[in-house]
Amino acid sequence: MASSLRALLVEDTAVQRMVVSAMLRNQFHCEMTLAKNGKEAVDMFLEGNTFDIVFCDRDMPIMTGPEAVVKIRAMGATDVKIVGLSDDDNAMEAFISAGADDFVPKPVRPETLGPMIQEVINKKLEQSATLA
Amino acid sequence: MMDLSEPTMDYSNLRRQITFMKKSFFDQGYLDEQFNQLEELQDESSPNFVEEVVALFLKDSPRLLSNIEQTIGKYPQDFYRLDSLVHQLKGSGSSIGAVRMKNECSVFKAHCNDRNLEGCRRSLQKMKREHATLKQKLESYFQLLRQVGPREHAVNSRK
Repeated sequence: MASSLRALLVEDTAVQRMVVSAMLRNQFHCEMTLAKNGKEAVDMFLEGNTFDIVFCDRDMPIMTGPEAVVKIRAMGATDVKIVGLSDDDNAMEAFISAGADDFVPKPVRPETLGPMIQEVINKKLEQSATLA
Repeated sequence: MMDLSEPTMDYSNLRRQITFMKKSFFDQGYLDEQFNQLEELQDESSPNFVEEVVALFLKDSPRLLSNIEQTIGKYPQDFYRLDSLVHQLKGSGSSIGAVRMKNECSVFKAHCNDRNLEGCRRSLQKMKREHATLKQKLESYFQLLRQVGPREHAVNSRK
């Protein structure tokens, strides 16, 4: 599936960052940006960076995933699809309450990412068609 | 007359050893399906991806184990920090399919939840043993893979 979506992965653990970013890059052709915690992610938005999709871990030092999601949405970044990641199913509620759109349990599998990626691609195509 | 079959036989034997070794990791419960997912990410542009991820895990995890051990030794006990550290180890282990490590991390987290320090100590010793065994097995596996060459890495990943 070719997408060229701009994806931000927010994940503090190096091994998980390596695996998930490779999945998004190799299997879904996403243009990857990485952040090691919620604060780095928020700073990227503050610097004016934009993304089509954000994948965000819950438990991270300095700023957690849900905390970062609240701040990103408060900045007015309401269009970007934000997906929470955690091995704790209870994390879904925290992410959705914070303003995330979806949740994926860990370990992350390509078959769960695929439909979300496709949804964002379809939305971008619709927006392009509207503007044309 | 030169025996041209000999190098081919060695190569075939190596491939058989690799296949058997990998199967044993799954049969003995050291690795799960996630390891196959890593191999799916390996291709000609990143032919050593699996070995690189595993190397990163084997580099990071001793540090985490050491931090856990130091934190267990501190007083007053900081079960919150212990839980946080083992959470990272569990996540890393899960990402490479290290199922025994992952399961022992879950046991450790349960002990943290119960504020059972002795349980945490016992679980840490098990984690260290599992880690040492996994390290030895995976290092042997990648040593064999290197002997068959980089092309085989990408081919083998699809088996």
